[in-house]
Amino acid sequence: MNAAAWAQKKPSKSLKERAVVLVLFLLALVSVLTTAGIIFTLFGETLQFFRQVPLLEFLFAPEWTPLFAEPRYGIGALLAGTFLFTAIGLVVAIPLGLLTAAYLSEYAPFEQSVRVKGIMELLEGIPTVVFGYFALLFVTPIFQNLIPGLNLFNPLSAGLVLGFAILPYISNVASDAMMAVPRSLREAAYALGATKFEVVTRVVFPAAISGIVAAIILATSRAIGETMIAAIAAGQRPMLTLDPRETIATMTSYIVQAATGDQPAGSLASRALFSVGTTLFVLTLTFNILAQRIVERYRERYE
Amino acid sequence: MQKGLSLDSSQSPQNLRRDRINRLFARAVVIPTVIALALIGVLLLDTLYDTVSVQVVEVTETSGKSFALSQALTADQVIRLELLAQGKSPEEVAALMSDPDEMRVFRLRNRVELMWATQEGPLRWVVSSIDDERIANYSLFEGLRRWNELKEGLQENQQLRLNPWLDYSFLTRDPSRNPISAGLRVALFGTLWVLGLTLAMSIPIGVGTAIYLEEYAPKNRLTRFIEVNLRNLAGVPSIVFGLLGLAVFVRGMEFGPTIISAALTMALLIMPTITIAAREALRSVPDSIRFAAYALGATKWQTVTMVVLPSSIPGIATGVILAATRAIGEAAPLLIVGAAAYVAFVPRGIFSEYTVLPVQIYLWISANLSEFANTAAAGIIVLLVTLAGLYALAFWIRRRYRVEW
Repeated sequence: MNAAAWAQKKPSKSLKERAVVLVLFLLALVSVLTTAGIIFTLFGETLQFFRQVPLLEFLFAPEWTPLFAEPRYGIGALLAGTFLFTAIGLVVAIPLGLLTAAYLSEYAPFEQSVRVKGIMELLEGIPTVVFGYFALLFVTPIFQNLIPGLNLFNPLSAGLVLGFAILPYISNVASDAMMAVPRSLREAAYALGATKFEVVTRVVFPAAISGIVAAIILATSRAIGETMIAAIAAGQRPMLTLDPRETIATMTSYIVQAATGDQPAGSLASRALFSVGTTLFVLTLTFNILAQRIVERYRERYE
Repeated sequence: MQKGLSLDSSQSPQNLRRDRINRLFARAVVIPTVIALALIGVLLLDTLYDTVSVQVVEVTETSGKSFALSQALTADQVIRLELLAQGKSPEEVAALMSDPDEMRVFRLRNRVELMWATQEGPLRWVVSSIDDERIANYSLFEGLRRWNELKEGLQENQQLRLNPWLDYSFLTRDPSRNPISAGLRVALFGTLWVLGLTLAMSIPIGVGTAIYLEEYAPKNRLTRFIEVNLRNLAGVPSIVFGLLGLAVFVRGMEFGPTIISAALTMALLIMPTITIAAREALRSVPDSIRFAAYALGATKWQTVTMVVLPSSIPGIATGVILAATRAIGEAAPLLIVGAAAYVAFVPRGIFSEYTVLPVQIYLWISANLSEFANTAAAGIIVLLVTLAGLYALAFWIRRRYRVEW
């Protein structure tokens, strides 16, 4: 029996003890209230929004132009931008992240893995506004020399840099999953004459696949919510396109653009802003919950 | 490094191929780390490089005097020389310089700075005016390559300067629409205010939540709900917290775009991070320690406050510092709750308007003017140095105060 359980059996008699528990409980409730607040404000404003804009318009209109004389509210334009930005980021982050995870879990000696983890922490610690600066003023000029027709603001360089920003999430979660694979599985494969490469790719990877998928989902969620790189380097012009050379807007960069402009509370444009926020929140939450479910499942399997 | 089994027993082509792939892969797994490290290096070097530029400036009749380092060692000495050169008597100069209001006006109109080089030679103090017109701004490499050519081409009222944007006066100048006189002072104070208030709110809430969940919470559905909720909250994009702050604090409570709105928003954002770190620290205290306290007749609360909490302070402190680094670097939620407004004054209280470091950097980047890219780069270096200092502190605490049970 652990101390917590043991102490709970001890009746807390004094009034002071009970008051303490109550206060601590109320503090713990702040996080619940925060979630409630997020859901309440986002969904409240969004419901107001849908009283004025039909859902079909929101889902299927080809443009997102709330500030035009004839406003259109097609979230598709923002989703396309978000998709492009996120996909390019993942194309960079998945191979790099999985190789790093393989290195951390299968190859690196202890001191070396401490160092690699340090580098990943460093990458994680760099503020994204700095990554945005780097994407816009270093990567884009280089790409503009190589790729004709590349706009100054484009999801290509933004996505490339995003890939490094989310790389630590993939390598951390995926290496944990690979380390959780029992040693006996590896030894069995070696006994059959497999090379280390074969053990890693055909035994460890498949055995850890749910954790790896969770890592990728988690990184996707981070990428969708990533704001500053998108706002600085990908652009703030909603566009229904899959051409990575075009200026686009992600949901996040649109929110930045709209919120830093002047929009009176209660206006339709302001509500449109919250409807984008709601879409973003629902998407990332779904991905996070999905990733957690998957992680919990593989934990059960090997522990 | 362990390379796995070698397949020398049979030299069949297939096994040779397997062996080769095996060895290639063992090298390939290191590549991403090397790339990541290279990226960090290039990012730092590029930013540092961008903090220096070569400028061609057209000066007015009164501005543009320059003094050698041998004539003056501090900015104050330069101001004295400048005022004397303007034809004022030594008494007048002394009177002017002891009057803080006069000095403020002077600093608003002028900028005294040590250039790495001018057309007159290396390391010279330049007194420039905000009315100076900037003709061109070259990157360091371009500027140095064409230095002599630019120097030849200077007209009479033009000057050439090798300008290090990041210097002490950059930290002490107020923001400005003119990159020459733009500085970080207001943003630095804004960051301090917001950070201080954020931590003051989020530490008690975060640590309190952790104590409740680790030491008191019964194992029931409500507790599980709180735990799941915390984990999900940690994954909510920061910009969504910005929208929450906008709706609740800026508009609902009518705090407007002030420090208190920013701090409340930021406190909610980093609270899960603090809670998670604090829970881990509390959990690392073994139960035997708690039993010992109970055996001495301590109440539960006495055990928590006098035994468990003190021994987990290093872990909690590390977590708090890491949460603070997040609060310092986050721009997105604060852009939404109104830090983007142009603020020219240091905040005077929690209901002042404000701007913070990363937001100021964002504003400079989006100003789309090559000299503001220089100030943005200088701001980034300041931000990164601050963060590096905090990381070092966290690392030191972790090593210095680690308790082995």
